[in-house]
Amino acid sequence: MFKAGSISRRVFTSVAVLAAVTTQTGVAVAQEKPFTGQRLSVLMVGHPTTDAVRKALPDFTAATGIDVDLEVVPEADSVPKMMLEFSAGSGRYDVVEASSIHVQGFVGSKYIVPLDDIATKYGQFYDKTDFVPAYLKPNVVEGKLYGLPLFGESSFLMYRKDLFEQYGIAVPKTFDEIETAAKTVKEKSNGEIVGITMRGQQGIQGVYIWASYLWGMGGSFLTADGKSALDTPEATKALETFAHVLREYGPVGVANMGWEENRLLFQQGKAAMTLDATVNGAFNEDPAVSTVAGKIGYAPVPVQTTTPKGGSSSLAVFNLHVASDSQQQEAAWLFVSWATSKQQQIHSLETDPNSGVTSIAAMNSEAFNKRYGAFKEAMLASLANGNPQYIPTVPQANELVNNAGIAVSKVLAGTTTAADALKEANELNNAALSR
Amino acid sequence: MHITRNPTRNFYRPIIGFLAATSAALLLYAIWLCLHNISLMSTKGTQFIGLSNFVRLATDWRGVQALGRTALFVLLATSIEVVLGIAIAMFLDQDFRGKKIVRAVILVPMIMTPVIAGLTWRFLFNAQSGMINYWLSLVGIAPVDWLGNPSVALYAVLIADIWQWTPFVVLLAMATLETIPKDLVEAARMDGASEIRVIWHIILPMLRRTLGVAALIRAIDSVKAFDLFYIMTKGGPALSTETQNLYGYTVAFTNFDISYAMTIALFLTIVTNVALLVLTRFAMPKGIR
Repeated sequence: MFKAGSISRRVFTSVAVLAAVTTQTGVAVAQEKPFTGQRLSVLMVGHPTTDAVRKALPDFTAATGIDVDLEVVPEADSVPKMMLEFSAGSGRYDVVEASSIHVQGFVGSKYIVPLDDIATKYGQFYDKTDFVPAYLKPNVVEGKLYGLPLFGESSFLMYRKDLFEQYGIAVPKTFDEIETAAKTVKEKSNGEIVGITMRGQQGIQGVYIWASYLWGMGGSFLTADGKSALDTPEATKALETFAHVLREYGPVGVANMGWEENRLLFQQGKAAMTLDATVNGAFNEDPAVSTVAGKIGYAPVPVQTTTPKGGSSSLAVFNLHVASDSQQQEAAWLFVSWATSKQQQIHSLETDPNSGVTSIAAMNSEAFNKRYGAFKEAMLASLANGNPQYIPTVPQANELVNNAGIAVSKVLAGTTTAADALKEANELNNAALSR
Repeated sequence: MHITRNPTRNFYRPIIGFLAATSAALLLYAIWLCLHNISLMSTKGTQFIGLSNFVRLATDWRGVQALGRTALFVLLATSIEVVLGIAIAMFLDQDFRGKKIVRAVILVPMIMTPVIAGLTWRFLFNAQSGMINYWLSLVGIAPVDWLGNPSVALYAVLIADIWQWTPFVVLLAMATLETIPKDLVEAARMDGASEIRVIWHIILPMLRRTLGVAALIRAIDSVKAFDLFYIMTKGGPALSTETQNLYGYTVAFTNFDISYAMTIALFLTIVTNVALLVLTRFAMPKGIR
């Protein structure tokens, strides 16, 4: 009985599956490529992930019949470019890539569309559960999905294991310990090796790193009721500590150092520590560009206080959005969901140094572990602590960062005290928020 | 013939009319923008706010400082480039072997893309591994923080600008020098005039018009200077290299405050026009006015 039942069940299942497959094939023939011949215009940011997408475009066209015109510009130029087109209502771009800090502003100005309905209809590439939740979250505004994360990163502390061992330094867990470690390195190496290097350039570059100090010392950019919080003692202490360690134990020229200069200095083995984006790990561990591959230890961003208002490591996510003025929103959605699908993300690891995948499956893949195993654990820990509000996400975010950046730059250059510089930034930020 | 009867009027009048209409339309649109509060990131609608943007600019310390920096940069860049340009042109006006090669090489900075020039100088000035600090270290001078020290950075950009645009003055001056009759100079020398007197009383007066035009063009270009600043310092450190032009850019394309950015731009245009009018009226030789 048991056996017969089993057989009959098996037969039944097979028939059912066969029927299902037949129906689905029938549907698929009609619906497989409903957008054949459509041509999408896509604006993306220059990055290894974008390179991987570009290389795989023929796969997308083969699967959907949709052609893609891909325009790639540097990150700093991408937002002005899309904003001009959005505000003119030109419909020039169907899909745009932008950082999470812009999502609120875009939604508020109705530049991008909610995707839930299209996602239910055309879900062949889309698997909501495969995204790292922290990456997907910024794309959800008032319960609606406005984009999908293409790449993401956090920040962590990178240090020279060999030097730390030689000089008997423990891995810093607070910003005071960073300063002590930097001092030891500078003294014991007779000034040959820089204690710590960080980005100090005016604007987002300096603010992106200083924000670790701000959050880690119990400060924040905004108060709970949306006012500027830069005139607090915590913020002042954070800026004083940040500027002091760089002025005393940092490299010459730190006030004009951006991501690239900072990364190169560390890769060349001229500094014992740096605090920067997790993507730097991929550069550190590449022997072709780094003289310190294999010698680097990775640790979470320090925290000084026991009661931070938010995590001290960043959470930068770049997302793909469908423009409101697009005439081909369904096709645009297919591109967005394909470019962020786990298949494409796993494939991207084969073609490009893409350590910023947003797919859990890609992160657990063998290729990822082999290449980025050295810092995977620290990166995941930083991501778990990653602060989605690390850089403010209000519509005026850029202006707030700009004003804070001037304060950071002034104190770093030694022209103003931290309290005065932040008071000024605070007033400007409040004015911007009320405008 | 009276000018209105000139048949060519049918050709030039429509063109002048079209250009005038375009300028007027753009100017009116710019003024309209200044009187509203258009921000690409704002969720509030567009409102008429009268002269608020101008009031804001008048009390904006950052804008005032930026204007001062623009003035300083224009003054220094223009004067140094013109003086240096004449000196080099006079030097090249002599006959020597390889003159053609030197003339070709000296034009290279001018035809180089500003982005390349900016990046090259940024790396030359790099405090840690830049070429300039390396050379200085050879003669025992401690590394200078060229782009990271607020009291040095503006002059570092100035050096790059002088390097790039002095050849322009050289080019104009050389063209004029070649038109100066040689017999005039030789006659003066035969009469026993010293070289300095020849330069002061014969060559420089002949170069006057050219130099006036060169200075005018360089001054206008320096007001608009943007690329070198953007590539080399982005206005930092501590705002020490933020010119009015760069400030306008930041307001427009970082803060997306279009109306206020237009106010800054319009104000800069007015200031520049007035300054140039005054300059041409009092400082320029008659022929150029």
